[in-house]
Amino acid sequence: MISLLRQCLLILGLALLPAAGQALYLRDKVSWQSPIPASEMVTVANARGWGSDAIWLDARTAEDFEKEHVPGALLLNGERWNELLPQVLANWSPEKRVVVYCSAVGCGSSREVARRLRQEAELKNVFVLEGGWEAWLAEKK
Amino acid sequence: MNLPTKLLLGALFLGISTGAQAQLTWEKTEIELNPPAGAESAVATFKYENKGTTPINIKAVRTSCGCTTAALKKNDVAPGEKGEITATFKPGDNVGVLQKTVTVETDDAKTPQTVLTLKANITQMLVLQPNFVFWQANEDPKPKTIVATAGKGVTIKSLEVTSSTPDFTTKVEPGAAAGEFKIIVQPRETSHQINANLTIKPDSSVSPGKVFNASARVIPGAT
Repeated sequence: MISLLRQCLLILGLALLPAAGQALYLRDKVSWQSPIPASEMVTVANARGWGSDAIWLDARTAEDFEKEHVPGALLLNGERWNELLPQVLANWSPEKRVVVYCSAVGCGSSREVARRLRQEAELKNVFVLEGGWEAWLAEKK
Repeated sequence: MNLPTKLLLGALFLGISTGAQAQLTWEKTEIELNPPAGAESAVATFKYENKGTTPINIKAVRTSCGCTTAALKKNDVAPGEKGEITATFKPGDNVGVLQKTVTVETDDAKTPQTVLTLKANITQMLVLQPNFVFWQANEDPKPKTIVATAGKGVTIKSLEVTSSTPDFTTKVEPGAAAGEFKIIVQPRETSHQINANLTIKPDSSVSPGKVFNASARVIPGAT
């Protein structure tokens, strides 16, 4: 019985090693913040279904945006917030929904952009894209 | 051979094989910064020492975003040698608590990678609430107010507000508290679409010349 218990602990310990390694390796790529409420998230399929009633905002870096982005999306990130926000607001109207995305890996900037749009600009119907840019790419295929 | 014997032999082998080793030890792997409001950059210094018996080569230093740079004076660290990596974070227009990382890769087999974390608490120099006011087409063109509040530790003597179009008038009044201003915005008419950028220049010793933006619009009716 004791031997069995010891072996179980050994297996658990061995399983913990790669998990701890992965957690350390990905610590800057994983969002450790509390999960976004479901009401503030939208799937790619649903967001695409909104058609021209949606404004897509790319919260990644300008370099990533220049490489490729959701067609029609506008760039808006924290680094250049002051400069980029006016063009977003110039395209907004009350009946439109706003979809913010960034890279799914460490996607903290889209929720931050969404939070600032709600709090600072007092916009309603602002959503974070579930799975981010990678989810959109996957859906496009 | 039973299990405890195997484990003992394994530990012994590991101990022998790591007899002569490199060991890069960090004074801190996480640094919290509280730069003053309006600061253009925040700098964190991560100090290290090679406490091992063999030299270490720092192969690469990577940062988690383009907003952070990391400077390293030399890549080779002799046994007993001390050094530092200086990480400079430029917050841009970000606000709140931001976490950035610097990943250090070495040829040390024991710890090939170390992640250094920089947490910066960024305070806004001027908070605009809201930073967007709008009127629907043909809505009564009543004035709307943007409250501008100086950030913590910032003294703002006055504000200068200009609209990019003469279709909006702006007026600045003192707010309810010290360091607070009311920006009163009003469209001349709401019969057609208007987009205006409001440029707000605070008179402050903090980041002189820094300009903030707010937006004012008359939005056409839904089609």
